[in-house]
Amino acid sequence: MSAAARSGAAAGLVSCETCGLLSRPAQAVHPGHCPRCGSELEWRRRDSIQRTWALLIAAAICYIPANILPVLRTNTVVSSDADTIMSGAVFLYTSGSWPLAVIVLVASVMIPLGKLVALAYLLITVQRGSVASNRDRARLYRLVEIIGRWSMLDVFVDTFTVALIQLQPLMSVEPGPGVVFFMAVVVLTMLAVESFDPRLIWDAGTSWQGRHA
Amino acid sequence: MPEPTGADPLPQATVEPPKRTRLSVIWIIPILAAVVAIGIAVQRILTEGPTITVVFKSAEGIEAGKTFVKYKDVTIGHVTKVELADTYGNVEVTAKISKRAGALMVEDAKFWVVEPRVTLSGISGLGTLLSGNYVGFQPGKSDKKQTRFTGLEVAPIITDQPGRRFVLKAKTLGSLGIGSPIYYRQLQAGQIEAYALAPDGKGIDITVFVATPYDKFVTPETRFWNASGIDVSVGAGGVNVRTEGLVALLAGGLAFDAPSFAAPAGPAAAGAVFTLYSDQATAMKQPEAIARVYVLRFSESVLGLSVGAPVTLLGIPAGEVTQVGLSVDPATMALHPRVLITFFPERILARVTARDQATAKVMTEGSDKVRLQLIRRIVEEQGLRGQLKSGNLLTGQLFVAFNYFPGAPKPKIDWTQDPLELPVVLSTIPDLEAKLSGILAKLDSLPLEAIGREVQDDLTSLKRTLEDTSKLLSRIDAELVDPLKTTLEETRRAIASADRMLTNTDATLVGKDAPVQQDLRDALQEMVLAARSLRVLTDYLERHPESLIRGKTQENK
Amino acid sequence: MTHETVACPACDLLQQVPPLPPGGKAHCPRCDETLGSRSADPLDRPLALTVAAAIVFIIANTQSLMGLSAVGRQASTTIIGGAYEMWVQGQALTAMVVAFCVVIAPATYIAFMLTVLLAVRRPPAPRWIGELLRWADFMKPWSMSEVMMLGILVALVKIAELASVSPGIGMYAVGLLVILLPAIMVNFDPAEVWNRVEWTDGTSSTAIAE
Repeated sequence: MSAAARSGAAAGLVSCETCGLLSRPAQAVHPGHCPRCGSELEWRRRDSIQRTWALLIAAAICYIPANILPVLRTNTVVSSDADTIMSGAVFLYTSGSWPLAVIVLVASVMIPLGKLVALAYLLITVQRGSVASNRDRARLYRLVEIIGRWSMLDVFVDTFTVALIQLQPLMSVEPGPGVVFFMAVVVLTMLAVESFDPRLIWDAGTSWQGRHA
Repeated sequence: MPEPTGADPLPQATVEPPKRTRLSVIWIIPILAAVVAIGIAVQRILTEGPTITVVFKSAEGIEAGKTFVKYKDVTIGHVTKVELADTYGNVEVTAKISKRAGALMVEDAKFWVVEPRVTLSGISGLGTLLSGNYVGFQPGKSDKKQTRFTGLEVAPIITDQPGRRFVLKAKTLGSLGIGSPIYYRQLQAGQIEAYALAPDGKGIDITVFVATPYDKFVTPETRFWNASGIDVSVGAGGVNVRTEGLVALLAGGLAFDAPSFAAPAGPAAAGAVFTLYSDQATAMKQPEAIARVYVLRFSESVLGLSVGAPVTLLGIPAGEVTQVGLSVDPATMALHPRVLITFFPERILARVTARDQATAKVMTEGSDKVRLQLIRRIVEEQGLRGQLKSGNLLTGQLFVAFNYFPGAPKPKIDWTQDPLELPVVLSTIPDLEAKLSGILAKLDSLPLEAIGREVQDDLTSLKRTLEDTSKLLSRIDAELVDPLKTTLEETRRAIASADRMLTNTDATLVGKDAPVQQDLRDALQEMVLAARSLRVLTDYLERHPESLIRGKTQENK
Repeated sequence: MTHETVACPACDLLQQVPPLPPGGKAHCPRCDETLGSRSADPLDRPLALTVAAAIVFIIANTQSLMGLSAVGRQASTTIIGGAYEMWVQGQALTAMVVAFCVVIAPATYIAFMLTVLLAVRRPPAPRWIGELLRWADFMKPWSMSEVMMLGILVALVKIAELASVSPGIGMYAVGLLVILLPAIMVNFDPAEVWNRVEWTDGTSSTAIAE
């Protein structure tokens, strides 16, 4: 594309996030409501960088207990074992089902960590006003958006394992304290992704940069 | 959008207009989904069985959604709800029953909780430790359908096992209870189902269940007896210990068998009535048709003679004692033990050889007159007499033995008396007790302490004498006369042993483990002899002191 | 929609393709090759899929996911049963989030989409339809049925080591749902809806702003 790229905001047109209608704002700072669907118009997602940082930090704080505290406790007549996410994955590996171990490891350890790192990177680069590799960063955001939900995998595995194995006193499984924290990490990162406005990536270097972010 | 290149406008693609709106193929998907959903729902409804409610006192281990209802180990339903009944005293368990078992939900169907239990008949339900408690089920026979039941607290005893029920009549229940096992040749053949007081209140009617294949061994000739605990009997025959097994030992039990003399017969009908005997011996006893009662009057104590004690004829068991009492002689007012015995001639008959059977039969089955004559002959001519004999020295049990005493004095028998009184002779039972107590008394009367003291005194005086002698001898430094030397040596030895004796006396004589008196007497005798010879010597020396120097002269020897 | 310039892949004729009506097909004038088509039923297709998804969703939530039997004991659970068990075990927050992600979010999405798609068959649809669509879109990233599917499979493999497991009808239904939901999203063109929704200022779809 040789033609100059212009963002809608730079042209003074605001796009409705709900229905996609491009319309003229009612006024500069508060664009008003979309004429088609009536939802509130915003230049960029409200307080995007602040909110994203807050959620990201909260998620990072929860990440530590999520991995240290056990997520599953297996009680048998003879023993009572507690498993963290890592030890669960190791157990899967040593018991022969290494594909599952890989899946659990990727979904529960690498993806959340990746999300935290990626979002932090995006935020930092946006705040620094970097203009380099916009496309890649946009792709990164898209990737984070799509892959993010898959880190809920371990929560579901735990839920259904607990629901099925209730054969007291022979064997019963109960959820450990780590589950809540792990779930918090996933939810918080998903909210962080939603609060981050990817258009900010492309705002850097333009005359409109950061005006209403 | 970029403008077309070139001056000429480009040709247009032809547009095929849309066909008339038709139902798109896509609708197959929801239709398919709907069909599947309806299929599932219909199948659920069709296979749905009835929902029942069972009221229990407590629903231990019963969990909603998890606990099953099982019949013959097959799941026929599962529990859906467990909640307190309106009255708060009971628990209502709601269960969904499978369609196939739905027809079993009738009026007298029974439900109970199966959990590990230790009962009279054994330990049951251990499998539930692993699998969790479940609700047991027993079908009923009624036709009336019902959906609300009251759960039993205990599993009902009999399931629909094949077998037969009988009624036993017993005097008391003893240690029997519901569930007590019944044994046939020490194999468990059934159990007690129920018991109740007999209508006339004079016994207990026990309903028992005997399972196939044992039930066919119950014939009208079969005897049932109480096999609880250990059967220990001490009789003239010795000590007898009998038990049917651990459960019978702890929980009581019955046993049955046909006696050896029973005629073979077909199985007894269900509901047949039998008597419950108190033990195997009583049960297996052959009933004797012929029983003749006689009287015996003893002039000595019959302590140790009990009812049921055997009566032997020439050493062969022929009857038993049926009564032990007292009779008063009106003339002299003297009291005599009076014993009634029952004589079973059939027992003797069984011991007679075939050759003599005919003659023997006359004794038993002949007319009264013939028998009386026979008895008279035996008693008067051959001297048949009854005598008390010791059956068991340990317990002092006695029995009555009839033997020939040719030299016995002629008895005075009233042959018309009924029951006939037979003559007796005195027993020769050594009064062991009296003898023993006599010996003990004699031992007691021995003045052991006095003897001990006397010996001690003798020994002390001996010691003094010896001390004097040694003083005397120490004055003599001249050559001693040989006999004196030896005597002195002996004396010294005697002193030493006497010393020992003195110290031992306390322990050995007066004390508890005093050795036999004989040993002591021997020792004392020796010492006395030694002392005596010493005294003689010292006497002699006193009278003839010069003998020390000159020795015994010929005239003084 | 304006004309598009293409070269026929069969005969390379340079030509312009006019905007197509729904269901219409464009053919090369020279060799009659089909150049493109427009979906005939931009509303019907997602609607059919949504209806199917609704039925399948109900099946998936009412039937048991899988049954397991070990040492004479049996257990089975539904999706909601799983969330309930977490609640009972003290993990109330997790239970709520799980329930939201696999029951409430997909249910809301399906229900709202159904309503929207039915309502716009007779344009102009009232304005709150647009609101529903917005909520449905919001639920999209939060309905994680496919993640749950994989989670169940992982759990199944883990449990299969100690007990015999058999998948239930619910599991197959979830599998179907996992296919249907993305199918709905792919076949749905929000523009079709927005074109049929009444504008807040009362104007109908015919007055379109750029």
